[in-house]
Amino acid sequence: MSERLHNLVERGRVSRRLYTDPAVFEEEQKRIFGRVWLWLGHESQLKQPGDFFTTRMGRHRVIVARHDDGEIYAFHNRCTHRGAEVCPKRSGNTEHFECPYHAWTYRTDGSLKTVPLRKGYEDDFDGRAKSLALEPIARLSAYQGFIFGSHAADGDDLETYLGPDVRAAFDNFVDRSPDGTVDMAGGTTIQRYRGNWKLQIENSIDLLHPLILHHSAVDAADRVDHGGKEPSIEWDTVKANGLSFSEWDQLQVAALPRGHCWMGGFLTKSIDEDAGKAAIDEDGWRALQAQYHDIMVEHYGADRAAEILGFNRHNTIVYPNLFVNSRLAQIRILHPTAADNTEQHGYIFRRGGAPKRMFEASVRMVTATNSPSSTVTADDHEVFERIQEALTNGSGEWLDWSRGIDQESSIDGATSGVGTNEVAMRNQHKAWADYMAGS
Amino acid sequence: MSSKIDRWHEIQQFLFHEAQLLDERRWGDWLDLFLETAEYWVPYEWGQQSATDHVSLFYEDVTLLRLRIDRLKNELSPLEWPPSRTNHHISNVTVEDDTGDTLTAKAYVIFVDYRRDEQRWFSTRVTWKLQAGADSFRIAAKRVDLLNCDQESGHLRFAMPI
Repeated sequence: MSERLHNLVERGRVSRRLYTDPAVFEEEQKRIFGRVWLWLGHESQLKQPGDFFTTRMGRHRVIVARHDDGEIYAFHNRCTHRGAEVCPKRSGNTEHFECPYHAWTYRTDGSLKTVPLRKGYEDDFDGRAKSLALEPIARLSAYQGFIFGSHAADGDDLETYLGPDVRAAFDNFVDRSPDGTVDMAGGTTIQRYRGNWKLQIENSIDLLHPLILHHSAVDAADRVDHGGKEPSIEWDTVKANGLSFSEWDQLQVAALPRGHCWMGGFLTKSIDEDAGKAAIDEDGWRALQAQYHDIMVEHYGADRAAEILGFNRHNTIVYPNLFVNSRLAQIRILHPTAADNTEQHGYIFRRGGAPKRMFEASVRMVTATNSPSSTVTADDHEVFERIQEALTNGSGEWLDWSRGIDQESSIDGATSGVGTNEVAMRNQHKAWADYMAGS
Repeated sequence: MSSKIDRWHEIQQFLFHEAQLLDERRWGDWLDLFLETAEYWVPYEWGQQSATDHVSLFYEDVTLLRLRIDRLKNELSPLEWPPSRTNHHISNVTVEDDTGDTLTAKAYVIFVDYRRDEQRWFSTRVTWKLQAGADSFRIAAKRVDLLNCDQESGHLRFAMPI
């Protein structure tokens, strides 16, 4: 079926089968998720030899570990004997992984270490042992400490795949730490919805929906009486969704090669610019920001600090499934498990050299926005489920993505538009069609 | 002994009352049970020690709870339209550290919600820090530990406090 799938994307519209058809989903797993670089984690999770964590690559469960040769390895979490999961933990430090079923053990580079009752196998079993290593992830690479894996043995290297605009987001991610280091910490948020993965990756660059879908939260935020005190960071985060349509349109959206994109920052507007209007508490968020700013200037000098902190983007979206937010020190990733089922996992990072309470602020912000019970994103996921339920209604085949199609412009290798232009979603659909056409 | 039982009964009646306000969606009355300085916390991790160095499902002060409740009044959120129905079943109530003015109450609570053709069951352990007043109690802190708080494929989407 694959040779025709790219025809499901036309100029300014896509077929609903992109979201509903299990056969399309299986092809995506092969042609997109089976080829691209998928984010696995961060080197701060693997400081010592023997450190490991388990994660996902879409539907696959994988182990990522630092071996005693100092290198990082990644392999499928499946015993090559009878297929049991060899590592049930989320993270830890170990000398080897031992399968609970028949005690085959594997080193932290994935190689087979021991099997019980070795004499039960043929004499040249040791020669075969190499092929019985845990199945490695075909390629592994890292950029600025962020580890990626690919199921494809060949293809673009990671830096080429990311491209300059996405690399800039990762650069800025670490530059915003006074000492240049970031540590993953603070747990993982998991939001599952019964809907297709594209609904989230489109939504994250959709600047028309916040004022409408999140109106109930913004409206309630407006009614809060702060009693003369500084608003909390959680309140700021909710309120940030309340820009007017014309304000959203003042933000830039940039559509990049391979389906990636980024959007201009809007928290700056709501948090920094409006700060003058709000009360400022000595131990509040705004005072903390000022303290952080001073530390940055101390470390980098005024010009470089201004350049780093002036990198004004909200999400940079790495197609097909990664959201990078350098300003908030957050990463989110989508793990599609079926055409109608997706998990979004969110991670936070601690900035080295920043005031301790910066991390506390990040944790609170993530709790407010990326908890499944968030007063903001829970509405997104609810709507995704209603889309998924309703998409098969009737005979209409097409979904409209034409907003701003005649108002795109090209700058610096990106196709660009105002905030509410759907240029970035069209760019995602084009990437989808390119992958499906096999180009 | 009987005064101890009376006290336990009194506290239990208060917990039943709080559950009733939640289940009858009397959010304003429910929030009035909380002290202005109160914290409402639903951890993301079993045995979680802190809400500021690890993410939580809910970590809200009275202002944020008010925002959460207030936003559902205008029926604009798809998450609570149609509204859910809930039941809180309270059992295993125990009281600790009762100084007369302050105390800790603990209970196992089965929380059931129903909405859009789906009924969900959650087994929880709830801890209340209570302040005793002249004729009732105020909540200084409420913590709800879900048995499946860290369920990887979970569907822990709640519009309202649980």
